[in-house]
Amino acid sequence: MKILVLNCGSSSVKYQLIDSDNEQTLAKGLVERIGMSGASLKQSRFDGDKLHYVGEILDHTMAIENVLAVLMSRNHGVIKDRKEIDAVGHRVVHGGEKFKESVLITREVMDTIKDCIDLAPLHNPHNIKGIQAAQRLLPDIPQVAVFDTAFHQNMPQHAYMYALPYSLYRKYSIRRYGFHGTSHHYVSHVAAEMMGKPYEKLRIITAHLGNGCSMAAIMNGHSIDTSMGFTPVEGLVMGTRSGDIDPAIILHVMGQEELTLAQANTLLNKHSGLWGISGISSDAREIIEEAENDNKRAQLALDVMTYRIKKYIGAYTAAMGGLDVLVFTAGIGENSPVVREMSCRGLELMGLKIDSVKNKEALGKKMQISTPDSKAKVFVIPTNEELVIARDTRDIVSASKN
Amino acid sequence: MAIQRVGIIGGGTMGRGIAQTVAAKGIDVYLVEISQKALDDAIRGIVQNIDAEIAKWGMTESDKRAIMARIHGTLQLEELRRQNVDLIIEAVPEELTAKKRVLGEIDSFCNRDILFITNTATLSITEIAADLKRKDRVIGMHFLNPVPKTALVEIVRGLSTSDKTFKETKNFAQEIGKTPVEVFEYPGYITARVIVPFLNEAMYVLMEGVASADDIDTAMRLGFNFGIGPLTLVDQIGLDELLLWMESLFRELGELKYRPCPLLRKLVRAGYLGKKVKKGIFEYDEHGQKIPGKSSVLIRH
Repeated sequence: MKILVLNCGSSSVKYQLIDSDNEQTLAKGLVERIGMSGASLKQSRFDGDKLHYVGEILDHTMAIENVLAVLMSRNHGVIKDRKEIDAVGHRVVHGGEKFKESVLITREVMDTIKDCIDLAPLHNPHNIKGIQAAQRLLPDIPQVAVFDTAFHQNMPQHAYMYALPYSLYRKYSIRRYGFHGTSHHYVSHVAAEMMGKPYEKLRIITAHLGNGCSMAAIMNGHSIDTSMGFTPVEGLVMGTRSGDIDPAIILHVMGQEELTLAQANTLLNKHSGLWGISGISSDAREIIEEAENDNKRAQLALDVMTYRIKKYIGAYTAAMGGLDVLVFTAGIGENSPVVREMSCRGLELMGLKIDSVKNKEALGKKMQISTPDSKAKVFVIPTNEELVIARDTRDIVSASKN
Repeated sequence: MAIQRVGIIGGGTMGRGIAQTVAAKGIDVYLVEISQKALDDAIRGIVQNIDAEIAKWGMTESDKRAIMARIHGTLQLEELRRQNVDLIIEAVPEELTAKKRVLGEIDSFCNRDILFITNTATLSITEIAADLKRKDRVIGMHFLNPVPKTALVEIVRGLSTSDKTFKETKNFAQEIGKTPVEVFEYPGYITARVIVPFLNEAMYVLMEGVASADDIDTAMRLGFNFGIGPLTLVDQIGLDELLLWMESLFRELGELKYRPCPLLRKLVRAGYLGKKVKKGIFEYDEHGQKIPGKSSVLIRH
């Protein structure tokens, strides 16, 4: 089955065409600057063929139209006709409390996704635009929605409730949702395979450390807690997001500096995190380099970030009554031995021992980095959210045909 | 149809604010000025404005790069035709002849069915449109200063403005993140009509020695939950500007309630024009911050 995986942002569309029979990516690419001058489409094909096109791309429909044209083109394409696409899988950021798993998109499903706009005003509207565009262009092809929040929807109530007036939960659905679900789901399953044990019998902590960072505690086959909350600002220190803070700080600063809501929002999302502490960069690679050059604030940023990760490892180990495996994934998690080492330092008593040689070897590849006598295993596993979307899409479409 | 390219004529305070607001939404802006110096000042002014917002954590350096990459300066009106803009916003000084001249020129060479938007607080849209070929395409948008931060825009319909023109303008206002209100042309629209007598009355209270400038502001701010006191607002708008509004309303409507307070006239004559010259009813330091306890107006009992 050939599946087109789409991830539509405000002015971008990321895509992959995946053959779900052998799980090979036939082509992947990115459309950027939709609706702006200098819009572009970049694609790389499985055999290394590359294409870069700059032109007028006014909206998501035109973007996907261009994607289809490129996929079918004589020189850079991988299919001859759009009918060869068997299904489309969409990444949808917020599924609210309604969606506990991926679903076939129907009219009712679309309405429910629209109901979730208030929860993710920056993401869901663009995801919806992408779905509508794909429905117009590929009218008879089944479409599936895969939600960032779905994997965490089985969290127990004591993990998702905030200690705020209960009426806020009723009125505005204020609760922990968590994000990066497809990534946590994917790497935790790979970890179980590497352990050679049933997924349902493991206590797993996954640390997705990329531009956004989140951790999840996965027990008996379910995410039972995760560090991002109502929005992706909560939890770990990220490139430009603060993660956990005393909520009263923001009220205090808003009063002192006479900030508007919009300014306070940008302060938390764009001016904080590694960038906020260091004043140098939001990129962990640059922070690590500067810290090695004795830059004190870069070092501090790194210390705050990894200390936070360590605290979450401790907390989630406690929540699960023990730990079998810890997984690092995404940009920083897959490529930064320093962050992994600092995050696990001092956890030997808890049964976590990192092999420093293996840790340094693990750069963007799947491997174990804990010592043989470490009670809990530590893995580095490259994530693959698109593959999860393709697999879910295949399963749902096959089931609906039977 | 989504707006792709916008022409803005005039890079004064309003033109800058509008250019920044429009470019921030990913729309290309062609900003026309009359001299290289005026254009440079306008561009520099926008950069300073964004820098101040970055210092308040409201924007980022990459926001700034994206916005500035979409603002294209030019000295030629014809550039707007070459760039095939979808609509033109005129933000030249608040003088009828100047506005009519600019729109007339565009009317003569633009052959597309573009929208003519005039940014005015007091002038008559009907009169501005009077000599144009396409009267039905002329409409007013009254933006309020500072444009990037003020959510409101008054959309003002002249006598010959068509429904289509209004609808397109309303969509455009929403596209750039503003909440529009529909106004049928009448002197002062909503905002100026209501705020002007209020500010004038605060000046009378001050002149009559009823209370100090600080206390007048405090009373209105805390008493009615206003974000800003009336006299501070007078300084922000500019005393000369307020006087112009009052005189225009007084002339047009002839009602005593629009008669400018003598203190307002006196301060304008003395050159106490408000925050922009660091001295109005209050005094301001070089960063534009109010100097506490310093008022230019002494009250003697």
